[in-house]
Amino acid sequence: MNLKSKKIVPYLLVSPYIIYFLIFIAFPVLFSIVLTFHKWNIISPMQYTGLTNYIHLIHDEFFIKSIGNTLIFLAIHIPLQIIIALFLAEVLNQNIKFRGFFRGAFFLPVIVSGVVVTILWQQLYGFDTGLLNRILIFLGLGRIGWLVDPSWAMPSIAIMATWKNVGLYVILFLVGLQTVPKNYYEAADLEGATHWQKFSRITMPMINPTIFMVVVLSTIGGFSLFIEPYIMTGGGPLNSTLSAVLYIYKQGFFYYHMGYSATLGLFFAALILGVVMIQKKFIEKEK
Amino acid sequence: MTKQWINIVVLIVFALSQITCSSKNERNPNHLIYWSSNNTQEIEFARYVVNEWNKNNPSRKISFQPVPEGQSSEEIILAAVVGKTTPDIYSNMWQGDVEDYARAGVLVALDTLKGFKDFIYSRCDSNVVKEVTSPDGHIYQIPWKINPIMLMYNKNIIKHLGLKHPPETYSQFDSASEKFKDENIDKYGYVDKWFGYSEVLVTWWQRFFDFYPLYLAASGGAPLIKDYKAAFDNKYAVEVFSFLRNLYAHNYFAKERLSVRQDIFLAGVIATRFTGPWEISHADKFKPKGFEFDFTHMPVPDNHRGPIYTYCDPKNIVIFKTCPNAQLAWDFIKYMINEKNDLKLLKLTNQIPRRKNLETDSLFTDYFKNNPKMIEFAKQARYVKGTDPYPNLTEVFDIISQEYEACVIYGKKSPQEAIDDAAKQVNLLYMK
Repeated sequence: MNLKSKKIVPYLLVSPYIIYFLIFIAFPVLFSIVLTFHKWNIISPMQYTGLTNYIHLIHDEFFIKSIGNTLIFLAIHIPLQIIIALFLAEVLNQNIKFRGFFRGAFFLPVIVSGVVVTILWQQLYGFDTGLLNRILIFLGLGRIGWLVDPSWAMPSIAIMATWKNVGLYVILFLVGLQTVPKNYYEAADLEGATHWQKFSRITMPMINPTIFMVVVLSTIGGFSLFIEPYIMTGGGPLNSTLSAVLYIYKQGFFYYHMGYSATLGLFFAALILGVVMIQKKFIEKEK
Repeated sequence: MTKQWINIVVLIVFALSQITCSSKNERNPNHLIYWSSNNTQEIEFARYVVNEWNKNNPSRKISFQPVPEGQSSEEIILAAVVGKTTPDIYSNMWQGDVEDYARAGVLVALDTLKGFKDFIYSRCDSNVVKEVTSPDGHIYQIPWKINPIMLMYNKNIIKHLGLKHPPETYSQFDSASEKFKDENIDKYGYVDKWFGYSEVLVTWWQRFFDFYPLYLAASGGAPLIKDYKAAFDNKYAVEVFSFLRNLYAHNYFAKERLSVRQDIFLAGVIATRFTGPWEISHADKFKPKGFEFDFTHMPVPDNHRGPIYTYCDPKNIVIFKTCPNAQLAWDFIKYMINEKNDLKLLKLTNQIPRRKNLETDSLFTDYFKNNPKMIEFAKQARYVKGTDPYPNLTEVFDIISQEYEACVIYGKKSPQEAIDDAAKQVNLLYMK
């Protein structure tokens, strides 16, 4: 092999990925940036509109509402997920009977299709005939408009999303818990520490990096909330479950406002990046 | 080594360009491609028509394939338009999409083809021709088939409620609903059966099954859009919103989505629904023993006079500009929708051909004798409307849907307020 071919071979070897990257990642990103300055409904030629899409975005009450809805979802979903996952991980870290079975059982919803889970919960949440309301009625309590009451719809989706994803975070917390040296607890036992004291003074500080990782992962996952409102509520009632991604999708693929949809997407991506950067700063600070 | 690689790359690029060019340039003008809908019955119909045509016209061939599978046929057609891979003829185009495609310049203006005008006036009423004429004066679609939306009702329940006929006016509908509700309150005091149901969805097309047919019925087929302005800010739309709002407010219609489970109409959970003729074969196949159903027109305001219109979900035929021989395409379409083939379509698919005097034409008499439930649809076919020939109808229906939800389902706005707000937004949409 001569010197020239030696230089070319590495490039040839990485070229499949480079080609893939250029076609499926770099080009779409650059194209969507170009789109933000245009009006385009796919079938007609693009029209240059300057900053119109950006100006529209600032005044778009639906987009602002969709961001607000997404933040409400995150505000409910993340703490709920952490508390439940941590509690379950703590329990499953003990020597309990059928530990292996429970670990598997809690992870099961994670691998079930999001669409299947959503349809299942839609049935459970049914206002007149859903199982949850039937139980409430049986207990002599009033019905809850899980998906039909604007103030309940997003919390209901957050509860479902927590049920679906909690297994993954249980595993992450379990890994975190197992890295805590046992002698710390033994020393605390000798000092007569209570269970809560051990949890708050030893466990929590030791698994802080895991908590932050869970927060970051759930934030990114939560920002991309789409399947659940798309299937369960279509963004209703009264736009109370209209998530940002669902709104971007509607603009793009219901109305074919490709330029505006790209603008929303770009803005939203920047927003997620900003939030994750802030979280990263916190993590670094903690370290 | 480098030279070898460059040679290989050049060869591949050359081969690809040859393949692409040949596929573009070598279209035989006497061999066209036709896409049909992809449901089983329509595939069978398309196959039959194409085979018959090819037998009689060996030198003017048509190849047929169902529209490729996708989330919706509309999405596939859009992708084909963008990729310039459209068929020459497409027979399942929703009327509301045609104006957008016409404006994009991808459809053939059919009125420029020889014999088109004579043919269309012999097939359709002048109202139908007017309905499919674009604001630019051209016609880009051939009205083909319709599925009128009507009130499907459970005959046993209507009889049980002591009614001589299904409810025809708003007040009859309300009083029947009240009676039915009184009989269906469970031991905990909650309603577990409803007189009617319309999917509680904000999605724009859901309004084809509630607001829009009711609006057409109340208004005698008035337009939704006229001269690029909202034409629905009138008493009829307000009356429809009031009627529907009352149904939800009194729990005559369920607010929860019931569509994910077994057929709620056949299970007796609801007594009526707004739907089309496609339900007949399904209901006949799966209905429990003794279950009887029928269809009637959409309910109208108590003081309504004159014919009762409805929405007909029209699917039309278009020729794309990529077609190398529009005259041949038109000749094939004329054959495909002649009387004999319309009867075939009716027999195979239970979808109504959009042609004049269907229920009185002797050619169709036997069919209606054997399918008595379809007579109601054939009679209704005289008084149906599709969509107005304006662009952005998806957004128009979405705006109405948003207001519908706020007013009808959740009672957050009065009907007048909701209609006014929807009209304002639609006017703004067309001003942009």
